[in-house]
Amino acid sequence: MKKVDQKVADAYFREKNRYMLVYFAIWFLVSYVVVAFADSLTEIQFLGFPFHYFMGAIGALFTFIVLLFVNAIVGDKIDKKYGIDDERNKEIGAKNMIDH
Amino acid sequence: MDSQFLVSLVIILSTFALYIWIAVFNTAKQTSDFYVAGRGVPPIFNGMAIGADWMSAASFIGMAGTIMLLGYDGLAYIMGWTGGYLFLTILLAPQLRKFGRFTVPEFIGDRFNSKAALIIAAICTIIISFTYSIGQLSGSGVVIGRLFEIDAKIGTMIGVVLIAFYAAFGGMKGITWTQVAQYIILIIAYLVPVIFMSLQLTSNPLPWISYGEIVTKMGELDRELGISEYFAPFTNGTKWQFLALMFTLMCGTAGLPHVIVRFYTVGTMKAARWSGAWALVFIGLLYFSAPAYAAFARFILMTEIAGKKIAELPAWTQSWIDTGKLGIVDTNGDGILQWLELKIANDIVVMATPEIANLGVFVIGLVAAGAMAAALSTAGGLMISISSSFAHDIYYRIINPQASEQKRLLVGRISIVVATLLAGIIALNPPGAITQIVAWAFALATGTFFPALVLGVWWKRANAKGTMAGMLVGLTVTLVYIFSAKYGGFTILGIIDTGAGIFGAIAAFATNIIVSLSTRPPSQELQDAVINLRYPEQMTYKDGEVYLNDGSSKDQ
Repeated sequence: MKKVDQKVADAYFREKNRYMLVYFAIWFLVSYVVVAFADSLTEIQFLGFPFHYFMGAIGALFTFIVLLFVNAIVGDKIDKKYGIDDERNKEIGAKNMIDH
Repeated sequence: MDSQFLVSLVIILSTFALYIWIAVFNTAKQTSDFYVAGRGVPPIFNGMAIGADWMSAASFIGMAGTIMLLGYDGLAYIMGWTGGYLFLTILLAPQLRKFGRFTVPEFIGDRFNSKAALIIAAICTIIISFTYSIGQLSGSGVVIGRLFEIDAKIGTMIGVVLIAFYAAFGGMKGITWTQVAQYIILIIAYLVPVIFMSLQLTSNPLPWISYGEIVTKMGELDRELGISEYFAPFTNGTKWQFLALMFTLMCGTAGLPHVIVRFYTVGTMKAARWSGAWALVFIGLLYFSAPAYAAFARFILMTEIAGKKIAELPAWTQSWIDTGKLGIVDTNGDGILQWLELKIANDIVVMATPEIANLGVFVIGLVAAGAMAAALSTAGGLMISISSSFAHDIYYRIINPQASEQKRLLVGRISIVVATLLAGIIALNPPGAITQIVAWAFALATGTFFPALVLGVWWKRANAKGTMAGMLVGLTVTLVYIFSAKYGGFTILGIIDTGAGIFGAIAAFATNIIVSLSTRPPSQELQDAVINLRYPEQMTYKDGEVYLNDGSSKDQ
C-alpha cells in the first residue's frame, strides 16, 4: 500500500473526464445535432444516400463504435501513464465480489 | 406438411439442440454461477454474449419492419439503441464493476445503504424486465405461428413453454456460452438474406453500401404514387418525437438491469470498457444491416408484389394472412394489388421478406432459427434478472435471510415460470408492435434506473431518500405518460408513448437532486465509496487519501 499524492489522483480523474467530455460532444453532434437539422440536409448526397439518412443509418453508429474503441485504448494508456498494473487489477477485481 | 415446414423445423431444432447441449454442459451448480457466470469471461466473448442478450426479437424481428414502415423516422431506433452504449460503457459499467455487487438493485441498496431503496429497485427491475419480455414472447409467437401456419396467439403459447423451461434450467453460466452460440446463429441468419437480396437487386454483395441507390430510387417511386418520400424526415411524427424516442432508447440502454448485469461478468474496469466496445461491434453488424433489410424489403414489395393480380399472388401470402399479420384488401375492386392496398405488420417484414424474395427454403428456415435465437436469448437474460431480483434481492435479503442455497434456486426458478406465464398472457393480445412494447421497457428504465445510477455513481451527495423519491416519481411519470399518450391521446410537442422516457428522466433527475439536497447527506463512508469509483481497482480512496495497492503490504 503506497500513498498517492492527492494531486496525482486528481489529475488522473480530470484527465479521464476531459476525454469523456470530448467523446460525448462528438456523440451529441453526430446524433442529436444531425437530427435537429435533418430537414435541411436532405438535398446533400453522400455515397448514394441523402446525407441525413446516411448519418441516421450508418454514420452515427460507425462513430459510436470508433469512440468506444478510442475510449478503451485511451483508458488503457492513461492507466499505464499512472503506473496502474492490470494484472494487479485482476487480482483485486477477483476478490472484489461481495456475496451476501 | 410442405418441405419448407420440415426444413425450418430441422434447422430450429438442431440449433436448439446446440444451445441445450452447451447449457447442460455448464449447468449452474452454485448461486454465484447462476447469476454472474463466475466472472471470468474474456471481453470479446462477453461482447458477443452482450450482443445476443441485447439483440432481442425487437432488433431481429421488429426493427427492419419498423424502419420500412416509418422510413427515416424509424432510424431513431438505430441511433438510440446503439448510442446508449456510450453512456453504459463510459459512464456506468466500469464504475459499477468496481463497486462489485451482483445486481443493479444490490448496487442501489448498498450505495445508499437502504433496504427500502433495494426493494424499490428490485420492483423496478421486475417491471422493466417483465414489459420487455412481453415483446419477446410476442416475437416468438410470430415465428412459431408462421412455422406451423397457425395464429400467432397459439404460437405465443408454445413460446411461453419453451422460454420458461429454457431460462429456469440454464442460469447465467449456461447462458453466457449459449449466448455466444446464439449470437453467431442470429447474425448469420440476419446477414445471409440481406446479402442475397443485395446481390439480386444491385449485384453488389455488400448491402451496407449498395442500398443507398435503392433508397434514392424509392423516393422517386413514392413521388409517382403521390406519397411522402421514403427518406423524408419527420413524416410519421414530429422532430421532437424523434429526439425524445432516441433519448429514451439511449438512456434506457444504460439502465437496463439485464444488460448491466453482463458487465459484472468481466474481471476488471478495463475489461468492462473493452466488453462494451466489442459488444457494439457485434451489435453494429446487425444494426448496419437493418436499414438495408428494410429498404430491400420495401423495394421488392413495391416493384414485384404491388401491381400483381390478387388471384395470382404466390403461396406465401396465404400463410402470412393466416397468422393475422398480413392484410390484402382490394379497395378499388380492380383485381390488382396496389401498394396502398397492402397492409403489412411491422413484425413480419423480416420473416416474410426471404419468402417474398424467393431466397429458398434453407434461408427461410435459417431466418426462423435466428429469430428464435434472438427471442430466446434475450428472454433468458430477462428471466434471470427477474428471478435474481425476486429470489436474491427480495426473498433472500428481505424475507428469509436464512434460506438455503437450494431454496433460493427453487424460488428463482418458480419466479421465472410465473413471470413467463403472466407475460405470455399479455402477449396473446400484444398491446403494440414488438419494437413499441420494447420501447416502453426502455422508457421505464430511462425514468428509473438511468437517473438513479448516474447520480449514484457520479454525485456523492445523492442520498437514499432522493434516489427512492426519484425512482418512484420517474416510474409514475413514465407510466402515466405512456398510458395517457397511448389510450388518452394526450401528447406534448407530438411526443407519443414510445418517447415517454424523456419526461420520466427529467422528473426523476429533478426529484432526486432536490430531495437529496434538502435532506441529510449520506455518511462519510458512503461518500468515500463514491469517490473511490473514480479510480481503477488498484487505487483506493480512504479517509481523504488515495492509496496505490502495489502489493507491498498485506492489507488491501
